[in-house]
Amino acid sequence: MTLPDYHFISAPLWLVTALHLLTLTLHLAAMSCLLGGTLIALWAGVRKQWPAPDAAGFARVLPAATAATVSLGVAPLLFLQLVYPRQIYAATIVSGWFWLAVIGAVIMAYYALYRTSFQAHRTGQVSLGLLALAALGLLYTSLVYSSVFALAEQPDVLRALYAKDQSGWVWNPAVGAYGLRWLHMVLGALTVGGFFVSVLGRKSPAMAATGRAALVGGMAAAAAVGFLYLVSLDTYLDTYLGPYMRTPAMPVLVVALALALAALHLHSRKRLALAGLCLFLSVFGMVYLRHVLRLVRLRGSFDLAAWRIAPQWSPFLLFLVCFILMLVVLVWMARLFFRPEPEVETQRKHQP
Amino acid sequence: MHYPFWDQPIGYGVLMAVIAVFHVFVSHFAIGGGLYLVVNEQLARRAGDTERLAFLEQLSKFFAMVTLVAGALTGVGIWFVIGLLAPAATEALIHNYVWGWATEWTFFVVEIAAAMLYFYGWKRLTAKAHLTLGWIYFGAAWLSLVVINGILTFMLTPGRWLVTGDFWQGFFNPTYWPSLVLRTGVCVMLAGLYALLVASRLEAGDFKARTVRLAAGWAVVGLAVIALAQAWYWKAIPAAVTARALETMPTPVRAIVLSLWLAAALGAVGMALVILAPRRFGTAAALAFMALGMAWFGAFEWSRESLRKPYILTGYMYGNGAEVAETANYRRDGFLPQITFRTGDDGADLFRHACRSCHTLDGYKALRPALAGADRAYILALIQGAHLLRGNMPPFLGTPREAGLIADHLYQRTDHRTLAAIYPLDGLALGRRAYDLRCGKCHAVGTASDKAKSLAGQSAEDLSGMLDMAASLGEGMPAYTGDAAERKALVAYLQTLSQGGKP
Repeated sequence: MTLPDYHFISAPLWLVTALHLLTLTLHLAAMSCLLGGTLIALWAGVRKQWPAPDAAGFARVLPAATAATVSLGVAPLLFLQLVYPRQIYAATIVSGWFWLAVIGAVIMAYYALYRTSFQAHRTGQVSLGLLALAALGLLYTSLVYSSVFALAEQPDVLRALYAKDQSGWVWNPAVGAYGLRWLHMVLGALTVGGFFVSVLGRKSPAMAATGRAALVGGMAAAAAVGFLYLVSLDTYLDTYLGPYMRTPAMPVLVVALALALAALHLHSRKRLALAGLCLFLSVFGMVYLRHVLRLVRLRGSFDLAAWRIAPQWSPFLLFLVCFILMLVVLVWMARLFFRPEPEVETQRKHQP
Repeated sequence: MHYPFWDQPIGYGVLMAVIAVFHVFVSHFAIGGGLYLVVNEQLARRAGDTERLAFLEQLSKFFAMVTLVAGALTGVGIWFVIGLLAPAATEALIHNYVWGWATEWTFFVVEIAAAMLYFYGWKRLTAKAHLTLGWIYFGAAWLSLVVINGILTFMLTPGRWLVTGDFWQGFFNPTYWPSLVLRTGVCVMLAGLYALLVASRLEAGDFKARTVRLAAGWAVVGLAVIALAQAWYWKAIPAAVTARALETMPTPVRAIVLSLWLAAALGAVGMALVILAPRRFGTAAALAFMALGMAWFGAFEWSRESLRKPYILTGYMYGNGAEVAETANYRRDGFLPQITFRTGDDGADLFRHACRSCHTLDGYKALRPALAGADRAYILALIQGAHLLRGNMPPFLGTPREAGLIADHLYQRTDHRTLAAIYPLDGLALGRRAYDLRCGKCHAVGTASDKAKSLAGQSAEDLSGMLDMAASLGEGMPAYTGDAAERKALVAYLQTLSQGGKP
């Protein structure tokens, strides 16, 4: 009996790539609101910049941001594992304990944020200790992701590290290959987090000012570090600059930067919805660049075109229908929850 | 073979079980608890029962804390762990079922969002809107089970998929429906158990009595569904699978089956008591029922995993990641050319990829004590006849040279002294130890390959002669290579085997 072969991709590559980029952008947007928002709230708390009710109100939003980050993080990792299983699993196994500890770190951060939220609701005060604990868990998670995914793009380093140590206690020693990348990501999170704070705190001058400062400062710093990161990769880019330039990466970079600047401009004009859209599209552009860079760095050891494509259209259609339904239901539920309903006040809880 | 091996000291089975059992216990509650909340809210609102609504709000906080954080994150944790422990199987599952998983993700997102809005909506929303969110939550949560159940059951009973490779034939496999009904019953039972825990902390009174009784009723209904569905589930598993498991690993399977029925019976009796004496129901009793429920569920999941042996994907991939379809290639070229990540120590690499996913040297299913006193030739014979040993082990598919490398690797790490020197034993006790080492790995007493009856009445000379020609007695039988003292003790023990190893 000939058994089915599992080395295939069950949809055209462009479709899987598009879904990966879209869902990763959604995840990064939520993650940036969470990480950036937590860091900004912590900073504002230490400097006593925000009135207590504003700080408490913001703290109550953070668990929802965590839920969004976690749930939106599943799909991009799934699509990543679908296309790059050899690279991703290998890197996670070599750093197994650090990778697994991410679960504990996120649970710790999540519970810390919930506790802060309940405490803020009860007492009107935000616990800086709990916020710091949450920030620590989130920063650890982000650092592990940067470290592991950078390692996944270096198959030779990965093999050499594994040959020396198979215990799963290997931390990617090539800090140069991911330190700046991680910092760029954290600064990007501060940028988006700043926007998030300024939108939620638009009626609070103190919050709006902090959010604006994080948005502008974070964006400038993220751009500078991002540039340094690209320069630090010159050994790769020297070798692969040609292929890299032949992709739409450079035009996309220019457009993404322009969109980021447009977001700043629109934000200063209080056109927040449009500014948010520009920021989101800018993040999407950066995610695309990240995708191209991965392909460039894996050149020589991995070829996307080598995948056998064997579409499973009926399961895909089921997913598509459910995905659209998901969006519809999410929007409908949000409208139901946030719509102003004067009669709600008269139909308080516990009423039959 | 294409992945590095995570050589951590905890057994793979243990690590997986710790995370998986905790997750399934929470995730099934996340479904049943949602149904419990919304059904009871609807009834309470209809009856104008404000006391019950206050209790449900309290329960929903506990529910949100447990399911949104621990439930969701340990679910991701399982995904992380299977990628670390069984990357090839995870890859195979993701390539075949990516759209199943992606569909499940859409339900997961709705479930999480609805749970948060439901929890925060008690004071904010109208009764109708709040109930609507509750039903959306339950619907999404249950649908996520509907999807993931297809992938879970596929691992044990892939059915026609093995021939056609068709997504739907693998998804709606022979155990899909019984498993779905069974797991739905588990959800309902766990909703009752968790509600009992919260209710046990209420002040004694009529309301507590009503609440405990209601929650107990849910648990009993869930148990009843489980009992029926479990029988259906067992029958739906191909007879060849259950027969093979019962034949070669009777102890764990029988123990599991027994524990399942015991747990169900204990649960039912306990719930009956709760229904009769709800006012006295305290937190300790609630925790005991929770522990019972968790033990039962753990046992069920363990039985499912055990039944699948020697495969991780039945008929398709062995527990150590070796692919059935590659058998001829392995036998011809060996494992080593397939192992992408090498350390320079071929014996260690082969041991990791062929054995280590189930066995550790000193911890879970430890080999060092199991092989203490064994010589290299005997270890080599065990490796080459691995599929004949108890426990439904996968066959060793590599070349003879590779089997020798693993034997060297293990022999260097085991105690080379004689059994009598390792253990301060003599007489029948030493014979029993020799039997465990030399014979019991296949011919365990009480199993299908128990030879006690055929040895009854044989003389010491006959038995010693039989040991001399052991290698010719049947397929995979190793030659007897123990020393004279061990042989004498073993023969004496064999003479007593039909009386249970007693003189």
